[in-house]
Amino acid sequence: MALIKVNNLSKRYGNKTAVNNVNFDFERGKCIALIGPNGAGKTTILRTLSGLLKPTSGTIQFADEKENSDIRPHIGYLPQYPSFYGWMTGREFLIFSGELAYLSKDEAKKRADELLKKIGISEGASNERISRYSGGMKQRLGIAQAIIHRPKLLILDEPVSSLDPIGRREVMTLMEELKNEMTILFSTHILSDADEISDELLLLHNGEIVESGSMDELRAKYQTSKIELAFENDLEEYKEKIDQLNIVSDSMIERGLLHVTASDISQARKAILETASQEDWPLTTFTINRASLEDMFMKVVNK
Amino acid sequence: MQFNTLFKKEMLENWRNKKWIWVPLVIIILSIMDPITSYYLPQIMESVGGMPEGTTFELPEFLPAEVVTMTLGQLSSLGVLIIVLMSMGTIAGERKSGVSELVLVKPVSYKNYILAKWSSLLVLVWFSLALGILVSWYYINLLFGELSIVALLQIIFFYGLWMTLVVSLTIFYNTVFRSSGLVAFLTILTIMTMSILTQIFGTYLAWSPNNLSSYIFEAVLTESIPSELIGTSIVTIILSVGLLIGSFYIFRTKELAN
Amino acid sequence: MEEINWALIAPLLVIQAILMIVALVDLVKARDTNGPKWLWLIIILFVTTIGPIIYFIFGRRNR
Repeated sequence: MALIKVNNLSKRYGNKTAVNNVNFDFERGKCIALIGPNGAGKTTILRTLSGLLKPTSGTIQFADEKENSDIRPHIGYLPQYPSFYGWMTGREFLIFSGELAYLSKDEAKKRADELLKKIGISEGASNERISRYSGGMKQRLGIAQAIIHRPKLLILDEPVSSLDPIGRREVMTLMEELKNEMTILFSTHILSDADEISDELLLLHNGEIVESGSMDELRAKYQTSKIELAFENDLEEYKEKIDQLNIVSDSMIERGLLHVTASDISQARKAILETASQEDWPLTTFTINRASLEDMFMKVVNK
Repeated sequence: MQFNTLFKKEMLENWRNKKWIWVPLVIIILSIMDPITSYYLPQIMESVGGMPEGTTFELPEFLPAEVVTMTLGQLSSLGVLIIVLMSMGTIAGERKSGVSELVLVKPVSYKNYILAKWSSLLVLVWFSLALGILVSWYYINLLFGELSIVALLQIIFFYGLWMTLVVSLTIFYNTVFRSSGLVAFLTILTIMTMSILTQIFGTYLAWSPNNLSSYIFEAVLTESIPSELIGTSIVTIILSVGLLIGSFYIFRTKELAN
Repeated sequence: MEEINWALIAPLLVIQAILMIVALVDLVKARDTNGPKWLWLIIILFVTTIGPIIYFIFGRRNR
């Protein structure tokens, strides 16, 4: 049974449609990445799921709760730019967050100390005012406050995009650990981050989900590898020859390389190499380039 | 329980940002400024000079009730301004900075959130007011004549209702707007409009909250509670509670993120 | 002005002094303020009562 099921969700501001008729659902225990360029509607979707925004139309169904019921008890949320009470200490803020989510005072304290250790904030730092924390510390504290009440679903809005490489690595490691404990839905515009930890992808463009599926499914569907060739002399001549091989779906010359796209890459490789050796082509470069996530995304968006 | 958590957070915040120190001190200063200066008015005028030689100062002796009115006058102008300014960002500021997102995404009841803001401000305001009026009462007894303890308690209670309305107005505008400057501006504007309307339509608006101070004067002077004071108090309480309920409603229908 | 009973005015002066000291301590400990610190220092020191008040309302940075 799906943990969350989103039906025909739309969000409009006046004439502007931020999210248009979005449908998706996912299972417990998955790590889902919401990918899209800035302004695609990622934040709007996450804020609507977390209850901070009301959908213009459509429903959100959480596990066996009623449609559109208050699902905040089951959700942990970290906004893209979290801001805290700077006058509180990190530990105070965690206890406060826990108590708001109906943990008892003792439970909240215990859980706060447990999480501070987990996110690597020392005892000394945890008793300092948050206004003195670095960006990475704040982001980790943000994750801790989001999971203090052991939510079933953790929603993270661009959790790593504002961090330096060290902070980014820390947060990615933390997310990797949390994957085992809860379902995670996070947004990012950095495709390699999504590639690194997510099981499933939702590709968002102009407020609509244009593609979804597991990493492998999407690869299988969109991965058309390219062969890049270079010769000692004129490329045009060989382009014609390769086009005649009947294995090529597209070929073009760009930046001194002949780019060959084929649906069956191994067959194409065999045909090209055989011909090249029979006719003794002066080949200088032969590279097989697997399409990156970026290429895949561009393809989906442009289709 | 959740209310307690939010309420304690507000109290701790107002302690750490020193409101619990400076607001009472300022209210005390405002409360005793007029009793002291009116007492020393003859000397002050003399030392300032500029009067023709031989002018004698014939200043009327002030009645205790009149001095009470002076104190309340100070509190109603500068006091109200300070209370509005210190509470203008209590919700608006949290929404602007975004910290309210972290709080309200927890299963927090919006009612508790607003109620905690409202009541923690009231505790601070009532405490400051009681202290200020107590010190003023002490000075009045010392300098102008006797004022009973009953009168003291009446002044604190009835004038406190006026300040409760001021706080409720601020909370109300806090739930509507995100800019704390706008909240302060509209609260002051509303109070001024109410005051002008009360002056123009005085006969129809006998129970306008703006009349509280003058009925308190009457009560202290006649050592009895005029029926208008009761009526005005009830109106003030109803308005305050109405604004509070209105705030719940607005906040619920409002989207918490922009 | 010798007729003035200073015992009556002393409390007022003491309260104003406390207000100023609390504002000064807060200013010194603050990491940053809205506007330059030195300006707030001057305002708190030289504008009696009003100075500390406007520092607390407009100068402090809470977040």
